[in-house]
Amino acid sequence: MYVNMQPFLFHSPTKILIGPDTALSIAEIISELNAKTPLIITDSNLRKAGIVEGIISAIKQANLPIHIFDQVPPDSDLESVEKAVQIAKQNHCDIIIAIGGGSVIDTAKVANIGISLSANALDYEGVNTITCKLMPLIAIPTTAGTGSEVSAVAVIKDKKQKSKLLFGSPFLFPDIAILDPQLLISLPPKLTAACGLDALTHSIEALSALTANYISDGLSLNSMLLMFKHLLTTIKDGSNIDTRLATLVASTMAGLAFTNAGVGIVHALSHTIGSRYGTHHGLTNAVFLPYGMQFNLDVAKAKYALAWRSLAAQEMEKYLGNESAITKYIKANKSEADEKEAAQHFINIVKIFIQECGISINLKSIGITNLKDEDILELANIASTDPAIMFNPKEASVQEIAKIIREAY
Amino acid sequence: MSIFASSKDLINTLCSLWEAIKTNHEMSKQLIESKLIVQFRYRDPEGLLTVDCSDGNDMKIIVGKTSIKPIIEMSMKADVAHEFWLGKVNMPMAIIMGKVQAKGPVPKALALLPVLKPAFEIYPNIFKQVNKKT
Repeated sequence: MYVNMQPFLFHSPTKILIGPDTALSIAEIISELNAKTPLIITDSNLRKAGIVEGIISAIKQANLPIHIFDQVPPDSDLESVEKAVQIAKQNHCDIIIAIGGGSVIDTAKVANIGISLSANALDYEGVNTITCKLMPLIAIPTTAGTGSEVSAVAVIKDKKQKSKLLFGSPFLFPDIAILDPQLLISLPPKLTAACGLDALTHSIEALSALTANYISDGLSLNSMLLMFKHLLTTIKDGSNIDTRLATLVASTMAGLAFTNAGVGIVHALSHTIGSRYGTHHGLTNAVFLPYGMQFNLDVAKAKYALAWRSLAAQEMEKYLGNESAITKYIKANKSEADEKEAAQHFINIVKIFIQECGISINLKSIGITNLKDEDILELANIASTDPAIMFNPKEASVQEIAKIIREAY
Repeated sequence: MSIFASSKDLINTLCSLWEAIKTNHEMSKQLIESKLIVQFRYRDPEGLLTVDCSDGNDMKIIVGKTSIKPIIEMSMKADVAHEFWLGKVNMPMAIIMGKVQAKGPVPKALALLPVLKPAFEIYPNIFKQVNKKT
């Protein structure tokens, strides 16, 4: 229960279409949005893998002209945005369809600013700077992790300035998100794990965030449960449509939670390490998650205990079998514990879960070696000013952040 | 109705506050080191204030229109600014609820929020003094 809860806003304007092959109904959706000339934004790997082709065929069958920008890099930048804007302007596109992971969807969001407002997107860097509706945007995620398909933010690299640009506005919410698990079948196990743990981090950080609320809590908890039940199976058998769908929905729920409640110290650390060493965002989150949770334990124990009790009430053996380390840990510890003990069980089970997903919870395992103490202090300093840390339930000094990095190293 | 009776009251209050921040070595040192130029755009009542630390030596406080191009623009109602300086604004919530607009490299501005915390203690007196005079 929240005591003296501040008024809160829960914003969720994205219509979400969910199910196998839903992406093939793209032409109807374009027509519903009264658009005629789509621009598809995607990346070259997805095209090579043939993942986008079904959607392109569906649009062609409806006799709609189609324009494609398929050169979005993994960590997208302003140059890609500008190229997408150019194609859209030259061809008078009136709708954007983003097919890909977070980088593709973020590129589409920022390109939409440039296209719709006939402006340099850079002029709208910041939060709440857009004041009118943009062109329709359909987001079709091909990973289950970022939640960008339902979020109001986008991050793009400015290679010239060597900085990351943050855009945040209610007008950046995609109009429609299509969650089609068929598009994720060929996602490799390691990427499936990293993205799933990114979503788990979103749900756990949103649950304990300063601006968490009743609605975001419900989404966070249910997202977390779905990930615990279905991510391991999805990693082992990527072609299982049911678990692909469950983890995709879990990722979107976590996206809705964090876009309304915020994230926290784990993301602040992950952004810092990611921009310095180019590590995968989901993997880096997974490494820091147990340490960040341990740091927040004293102020987040009620939420963690709630999460543990929700998890312990599930029959996990149905999903993971009796021999799973998760099932065994829950069975051994499900008897009623006090709040702090329950909260610690939650941190422990998260740690076990990450390891079961094949991820080692240390920075060396993601390629960060040779960290000297002065590097750690510098990184801690940068993380202490990352916007994500504003939402953390507990204030963290540079020394405390440095301690977390040392522990994770 | 705003806590500030007029634009003049608003600007006099916030100018006095920034002058006090400027004379506080702890706060001004870190602000000057940031080399940022932050422009505050207030409405209800209107007011425009620019804090220029770009030369890395001094903090300049400019009232009204200026040719200096800000790095960050913060826009909000004057009452939100008043609540902020009283330490009563939950900034993440204000951003989520759209009460604050921030244009430019927002993380750089947010990084300075902890630096400004000591100003929350001096603001109530400044507010009282300035608004008594007018």
